[in-house]
Amino acid sequence: MSENVLHIEHLTMRFGGVVAVNDLSMDINKGEIVALIGPNGAGKTTAFNMVTGVYTPTEGKVTLLGKDITGKRPDEITKLGIARTFQNIRLFSSMTVFENVLTARHLRRTSNFLTATFRLNLAEERKMRAETEALLREVGLYELKDEMATSLPYGKQRLLEIARALSTNPSLLLLDEPAAGMNPQETEELGAFIKQIKEKFDLTVFLIEHHMNLVMGISDRIYVIDFGKQIAEGTPAEVQDNPAVIAAYLGVEEESDLPSEEPTEARGAEKGSGLPLEDPRASASAAPPEARGPQKAETRGAEKEVDQ
Amino acid sequence: MNRKKIDSATIISAVIVLALYVAVFVAEQFIPATSMLFTVLKKGATYALVAVSMNLLNGFTGIFSLGQAGFMLIGAYVYGIFTIPVLSRMDVYQYYNGGLVQFTLPVFIAMILSGLAAALFAFLIGLPVLRLKSDYLAIATLGFAEIIRALFQWDKLGPITNGSNMLRLFPTFNDFNIRGADGQVVVYLSTLVPLLISGVCIGVIILLINSTFGRALRAIKDDEIAAEAMGIRLASHKRLAFCISSFFAGVGGAMLAMYQTTVQAKSFTTAMTYEILLIVVIGGIGSVTGSCISSFLFVACSEWWLRFLDQKQMIGTFEVPLLRNGFRLVVFSIIIMVVVLFFRQGIMGTKELPDLIRGLRGKRAKGGADK
Repeated sequence: MSENVLHIEHLTMRFGGVVAVNDLSMDINKGEIVALIGPNGAGKTTAFNMVTGVYTPTEGKVTLLGKDITGKRPDEITKLGIARTFQNIRLFSSMTVFENVLTARHLRRTSNFLTATFRLNLAEERKMRAETEALLREVGLYELKDEMATSLPYGKQRLLEIARALSTNPSLLLLDEPAAGMNPQETEELGAFIKQIKEKFDLTVFLIEHHMNLVMGISDRIYVIDFGKQIAEGTPAEVQDNPAVIAAYLGVEEESDLPSEEPTEARGAEKGSGLPLEDPRASASAAPPEARGPQKAETRGAEKEVDQ
Repeated sequence: MNRKKIDSATIISAVIVLALYVAVFVAEQFIPATSMLFTVLKKGATYALVAVSMNLLNGFTGIFSLGQAGFMLIGAYVYGIFTIPVLSRMDVYQYYNGGLVQFTLPVFIAMILSGLAAALFAFLIGLPVLRLKSDYLAIATLGFAEIIRALFQWDKLGPITNGSNMLRLFPTFNDFNIRGADGQVVVYLSTLVPLLISGVCIGVIILLINSTFGRALRAIKDDEIAAEAMGIRLASHKRLAFCISSFFAGVGGAMLAMYQTTVQAKSFTTAMTYEILLIVVIGGIGSVTGSCISSFLFVACSEWWLRFLDQKQMIGTFEVPLLRNGFRLVVFSIIIMVVVLFFRQGIMGTKELPDLIRGLRGKRAKGGADK
């Protein structure tokens, strides 16, 4: 097996009495594209936030390239090689496209504020700018480089977020719902783009996504969590056929012909962990229908029509 | 090709600024030194520096600090304490036996020391205070300024600060004039030098804003979470901005001491901070040019142009109603309210002088305001 990039061990996050992520363990190896999926509120973004240092996990350990990064600050973790994008785009709104990407190179500086202020770092500054231009050409945003970041169309803003993350020179790229709000064609282009940058920048990619077409299309492996707990892991094909996954996404009918053991087991565990939710279906129907639409359509193929 | 080119708009801006300096120099030689114009320029230069330093925090880093008067006070006192001639110390520190400090530093070294002292205080106060957000930070820094004001009037510190008595007899702006052997002024520099000091300091701030650190600070202002995720350490960058801003507020305090010719802790009130804040808001939060322009306008209005409102005015035999002592402040307040209500972007928004020139050229303008 190839080199391990990210190793997550028994990660747990509690907010008061709510267990957002419960005993999550994963391994991501170099060059893989790994997806983390699950219904809304399953704890995916919380897991991301623990990996990137936004939250300090209640329990467990995160290791990046053999180094323990549990509880480190986000900026330290970024320096060590994890870059991320955000579910709700968070660009620097007062800056141009170029400046957004350029700012993300700040962490690789060798200058201090005095040498930078008095322009004793010209060579470095020039190098930063050259690298930024090259990166913008690479991702196809060069023509827009002097536009204000927030004036870009939505899809391009997503692209810019990825470019900005790449600018920090990561070895692991975390994408939090990169296709959110994109139409099918844009989503397809995004999938190709992720594969392309993965090769070009020698990356490992870890993504959260709801568009099942995208996830199934590009992932090498998929982890599925529900109520903060891992319920499945495997290749896209394996996950698609996993009864527990189908149950989590679609709920279980009383007279369902699904093997009844696994879902019940999963739910029992959730009750044991003190989650206030009783039925996966309750949370499923509470979610906005459009957010769940694509998943339903995708998993439906493997299962008979179950509608709520 | 990858280098940021110095474009013509920047050069034109530099030429405009240079031309203004030359104009001031020439005017100073020919217009009587008692003219209000010079008072306004001197105080305006001082306020411009402090306003830009405040803008660095509020407009570029997104830290809402109201400690400016406190840092100016520190700067003013440090300048005063170290520049009073040894021979005059007996007079100044008359209740404290000539005071503790019995040496004198050169003016410019004392000014740098003023800045460093203010920055040191900023560093210390920043340790607890910079963990706070927005309005809490504002309240904490406001409190700090009040504490400093009380501390410097404390009797026990008298041998250093002269207690609640004023510091005086230190070099002032007028000492920049070059005098001949007979004591007559040969070359007037008392307005040009403060403008130059202020200009150099603001220049340094502009360089900082446009460096990689300036971009990091703007990133923090735009989105702290994203900035942190891009590897920008929030605590150290905020502290940096806070200390640098205070450094220049300290230098500004030293300049204010020179302008006023005396220093007394009780004059560095919260109202002074609000004046500076007002200048920043009127000029445009996030615009250095705006802060400079508005500080001169502000000082000119409050010290000069609106003075007539305080006196009885006769048009022929008709006495203009309402005009009496204090009415100036009423009009002033109304102007401020109008600005805040209808021109919230301020004079410049977030634009700078070069942007303005680019804009003018873009529109092929038929000549507009040049400043």
